[in-house]
Formats: sequence, structure tokens, C-alpha cells
Amino acid sequence: MDFFHAHQAQHYLVLAAMLFALGAAGVVLRRNAIIVLMSIEVMLNAVNLTFLAFSRFPLVPNSPMGSFLSGHAAVFFVIATAAAEASVGLAIIIAVFRSRTSVNVDEFDTLKL
Amino acid sequence: MEVTWLHLVPLLPLIGAAICGLVGKWLPKGWVYAVALASVLLSFLIGLRAFIGLGEQAPLFHELWFNWFSAGSLRVDMAFSFDRLSGALTLVVTGVGFLIHVYSVGYMEEDPGYWRYFSYLNLFIAAMMTLVLGDNLVAMFVGWEGVGLCSYLLIGFWFTDEEKAYAGRKAFIVNRIGDFGFLIGIFILFNQVGTVGIAQINSAVLPLGVASIAALCLFIGATGKSAQLPLYIWLPDAMAGPTPVSALIHAATMVTAGVYMVARLSHLYVSAPGVMAVVAVVGVLTALWSALIATSQNDIKKVLAYSTVSQLGFMFIGVGVGAFFAGTMHLVTHAFFKACLFLGSGAVIHGLHGEQDIQRMGGLRKYLPSTRTTFLVATIAITGILPISGFFSKDEILGQALHTRAFSFLTLTPDGSTRLTWLGPLIYAVGSFSAFLTSFYMWRCYFLTFSGEYRGPESVHPHESPSVMTLPLWILAALSVIGLVLGLPQAWVHGTGLQHWTWEHFTDGVFSRPRGGAPEEFSPYLGYGIALIVGWAGWACSYALYFKRGLAGDELLTARIHVLRGALANKLYVDELYDFLVVRPFWALARGLFRLVDATLIDGLFVNGIPTLIAWVGAMARRFQNGDVQRYLAVTALGVAALLYVFLVRG
Repeated sequence: MDFFHAHQAQHYLVLAAMLFALGAAGVVLRRNAIIVLMSIEVMLNAVNLTFLAFSRFPLVPNSPMGSFLSGHAAVFFVIATAAAEASVGLAIIIAVFRSRTSVNVDEFDTLKL
Repeated sequence: MEVTWLHLVPLLPLIGAAICGLVGKWLPKGWVYAVALASVLLSFLIGLRAFIGLGEQAPLFHELWFNWFSAGSLRVDMAFSFDRLSGALTLVVTGVGFLIHVYSVGYMEEDPGYWRYFSYLNLFIAAMMTLVLGDNLVAMFVGWEGVGLCSYLLIGFWFTDEEKAYAGRKAFIVNRIGDFGFLIGIFILFNQVGTVGIAQINSAVLPLGVASIAALCLFIGATGKSAQLPLYIWLPDAMAGPTPVSALIHAATMVTAGVYMVARLSHLYVSAPGVMAVVAVVGVLTALWSALIATSQNDIKKVLAYSTVSQLGFMFIGVGVGAFFAGTMHLVTHAFFKACLFLGSGAVIHGLHGEQDIQRMGGLRKYLPSTRTTFLVATIAITGILPISGFFSKDEILGQALHTRAFSFLTLTPDGSTRLTWLGPLIYAVGSFSAFLTSFYMWRCYFLTFSGEYRGPESVHPHESPSVMTLPLWILAALSVIGLVLGLPQAWVHGTGLQHWTWEHFTDGVFSRPRGGAPEEFSPYLGYGIALIVGWAGWACSYALYFKRGLAGDELLTARIHVLRGALANKLYVDELYDFLVVRPFWALARGLFRLVDATLIDGLFVNGIPTLIAWVGAMARRFQNGDVQRYLAVTALGVAALLYVFLVRG
């Protein structure tokens, strides 16, 4: 099996894993809350990519669950949720910024109390 | 013969104790007296009726009251047996007990705690009757502990006085040491015989070793309860209690329980001749030891206390040399004259408003004529200068010791030829010397108290006690005289009606015979002669010193034997010795254990250590909760990565 020439799910999956890792690294490492939110979007999109890859190349051909539109439907849900989450997240960041005059997540440590 | 009324003898005083103790405080004084006295009197009458009923057809009455508990092969009944020995003791305990109850009505008249006092006294009679009548060792032990409890309660009756409360605790603790031996003895006997019934134990054939260990353990119990060496130290301190208590518990009845127990288990003891020798030697040493101390005591009750210890020693000589009848006979006669002496001393103390020091008495014959006469009779009885009760019973013991054949170790020498032939005469000699000392110190006590001139302070006017107190004195004095019938030699009464009243004939068949057999018939006259000489010699010494010179007699004696008298006055420093050998090491051990186990291990390691450990773990765990969400996420991501690695790559 030639990895670089055959159009198969693993290409998309590897790409998705890379995107997910990048997003996760951004969430964990970046200090700016807005960039953290953006990194979450990257992770969500990495997941979307896996949905689409499995939709295009189903593991079990012709399964009742295997209609290629089911993956697309899941992606739409994720996009909608991500949009809602981004708006709520930005609203929270604005609220925090108003009280703290900062968007630096290092300073948001009130969870330990 | 099975009967159904024997349990009333201990039960009635128990009910009396409950009534006096629970509601006596709110009852009129007369009711408390009536309940306390009537319960004991009824017990006495039941005992008397049963005693008369004993005969050829009914050698003993037995009652299985109820099954107390059973476990496996162990079956313990509350059962009583009333034979000639326990029957006679029932009469002594309830009879003398009743007289002392009567006396107490006068003695405790002004004490606000009289209801408590009579409750304890009734409880004592109930416990003592359980001890005497119990037909198995466990029932006996219940009574044994019960009388110990009452003794403790009554010694510390005036518990607000720290010294008296301490005396009560001392008595209890010293007795516990002996009781421990008693318990071990019961365990061994149950283990070996398979039952705790006294009759079964007395018919069992036990190997010498088992019998010896069991008998020795039980005897340790007896040394505690009956105040023998080395556990006698509690009895002199027990005089802190009210004087009628000293008469009833610490002279006439409870302290003789050890003698009674040995006599009750005579079969066990004769199968352990070595222990018999131990019993006799402990008895004679105690008799000598405490008679010596008694010569130098100035507290009238202390003199009588040491005298009691000494007389108990005589009783143990009796049972130790195999003459169980002689030991128990002295038990009975001693109950009469020692109760009389103690009640007499109580009347003196009462008449002098609490004075107990014989140095501040003297000349009381003028003021307390009844007390003086009865005290004189009892003193004659105990010193044996005239042949009344104490003379015969004590001399029977000494005569039997001289001629004993009990110390023959049959397992070692089948013919018994190498028995300890010298031990009996040695015991006789030391015992006779103790009898001389007895005569000396008792007459000293009598002369210093009643003869000469009154030496007390002017402010105290001695007065005779009310008749409720003197009447028991007269009865007990009469009994001290009549008691001589018990000890008449068989040769004198043979074939006459009196023979049935002599103790030897009366208890015939109750006790086992020693292995070497009873002594050969011996003429008592030589022994009587020596006893009279010894008794009169003691009287003469005392007369020359104390009747002629009064208190100067003590000074004269002190000048001659300064060191010895100093030691005797300080009770031969035994309390100090025990304090040094036992009490202080024990305190040190307790303090060490307190520091090591309690303070360090329990408080330090467990009570404070565990919270400290948990606090430390918490402080460590706290570091993970720093409120930094990114750190949480990083750790979570690492965890997921590790799980993935485990499940996907390794799995």
C-alpha cells in the first residue's frame, strides 16, 4: 500500500491529528485568551476533518450507519456548536477584560479558591 | 436432702440491703433498723431450724436454686448446701452478725449515713452466706468477692476522710492479688476435674502435681482474704472502718473465709501434703509475726487487728496440720471472743468520744463496768489463762500440730517413713511462743485500758454505752465461755450428752483425713499444762510491766530493747518494704508506660500523628490545584496521551 499515492482515510486522519495537536498546544501554551479560543476552533475543525474522512472512506462499506451524509450532518452540528461556543467565550473574555483589564489567562486563577 | 428454702438465708439480707440502700434515706430511722435487723434475724432462725433438722436422715440439705449459666461442659448453678460445717458457720455469721447489727443501732446512732451503713452490713451478710453455703467454687467466689466489696465499702465508709478511703482501696487491691490466685485455682480444678462442684472436687482423685498447684493457688486467695503473710498488710489499715464492722467483717467472719475454704476443700489439701506444710508454716509465721507487732501498738483497734491476724495464723496451723476440726473450731470460738473484744473496744471508743489511743485511756473499769467485765472475759478466752473457749480451741490446734502426721509425702516414700517429723514440733514451739506473746499483748491492752488511773484529757468524761450496745457484749462474753464445750477433750465427755456438742465429734465425717492418718491418741494434759504456763507467763510479764507501772512499762521495755521495739512500733517496716519493692516500681512502671505508650505512642503517633500525615498529604495535593486551567488541560492531555499509548500501541 503506497501511503503517498492512494487516496485513503489515513491522509486526512494524519492531517486531522496534526491540526488537533497544534490546537491543543495552542490551548495549553498560549497566554492570550482570544488565541486560546481560536486554538479550540482549530481542534474542533480537526475533529470535523475526521468526520468527513470517515464519511468518505467508511470502515465498514454499505453499513446501515454508513451513509456518507451522516458524517456531514455531525460536522454541521459541530460548526453550529462552535459558533455558539465562540460567541459565549468571547462574551466571557469581554466580561473578564472589563473587571481585570487583561486577557492573559495566566491571571485567571480564581478557580483554585 | 433436697429442699427449697435454703436460698432464703442469703436472699433475705439481700432484700434488706436493697430496701435500706435504695429507699432507706427516705424511710423513718426505725424502719431501716427494723428491716436490717429482721432480715438477719430471719436468716438466723431459718439457719437454726435447718441446723436442728440435721441428723442421721438428713446429713445435709441441698438446694439447686437456679442454673446460673452453662457453657460447653461448664455448668454453674446457684446451689447451696447446708451440712454441719456450713450450718454451724451459718449460725455464727447470722448470729454474731445479728448481735453486731443490734450493737450498730447504738454505735451509729448519730451518723447521718446509717441507712447506707445498714445496707452494706446486710449486703455483707448476704455475700457471706453465699460464700459459706455455695456448693460450687464459682458460687463461693461470688460470695468471696461480695464480702470483699462490702469490706471495701465499709472500710471507706467515711470516705470524705482521704486516709480512710485509701485504707479501703488498699484492702481491695491487696485482696485482688489473692483473688487472682483463687481464680486460677478454680480454672485449674475445672480443667482437671471437669466441674466446679465442691463435692465432686472432694471426691476426685488428682495427681499430686495438679492438686498441689491448685491447692496452692487457692491458698494464695486465702492469704489475701484471711490476712496471712505476705498479704496481711490490709487488715490493720482496715480498722479505719466503723468498729462494729471491724468486729463483724475484719475479725469474726469474712477474714475466716480462707480457713473455711481450706477446710471445705479438705480432700484437695490432704492430697497435696506439701501445700499443707506451706499452709501450716505460713500460719505459724503469721501468728508469730503479727503477735510481735501487736505488742507495741498503741491504737486499741490496731492491737486487736494484729491479734486477729495472729489468731487467723493459728487457724491455718490447724487446717495445715490436717486437724481441720481444730482450725474451724478456733474459727468459731474466735468469732465469739474477738467480736466481743472489738465491740468492747468500740464501746470504749464510743465512751471516750472517739479516743483510740490506749496511752490516753486507763482506769476505765470505774466508768464502763459492763464493757470492762465482758472485755475481761474475752481477754481470758483469747489468752487461755483459764480453760474457757479460746484455751481449748487454741490448745487443740497446738496439740494436733505437735502430733501431726499430715506431712508425709506418700508418693516419695510409700511407707511415709521420711515424713517431716520435725516440722510439727517446731510449729508447736513457735506457736506456743506466739501464744505467750498473745497473752502478753492482750493483757497489756487490758491493763492499759481498764486498770490504773484515767490518763485522758479532763474534758472527756468516759461514760458507759447504752444497753443496746452492752447487751450484745454480754451475749458474746457468755458465748465465749460456753464455747468451751466445743473444745472439751473426747476423753472427758465420752459417753455423756456433752459429747454431741464437742466440735470434733460434731464435725466427724465432714473433713478428709490427712494422708499420714490422724495423730495417734495423745493425752492432752501435758499440752494443757504448757499452755497454762505460757498463758500465765504472758500475764505475769504484762502484770509486772503494765499493771504495776502503767505506761512506764512501755518506757522500761523500750529502754531495754530499743531497736526491736522501735521496729515493732513501726510494724516492722513492712509497709515501707512493700512500698519500696512493689508500689514504687509499679508507679515507675506506670509512669514509664504513660510516657512511652500513652503520651508518645497513642497521643503522639496515633492521635496527633494521623492528622499531621493527612495535613501533609493535603498540602502536597494542593499544589495541583493552582487555578491555572491551562495546567489542568496540559495534565489531562498528557493523561489521555498516556492512555492512548497504553491502549493503542502497547495493547
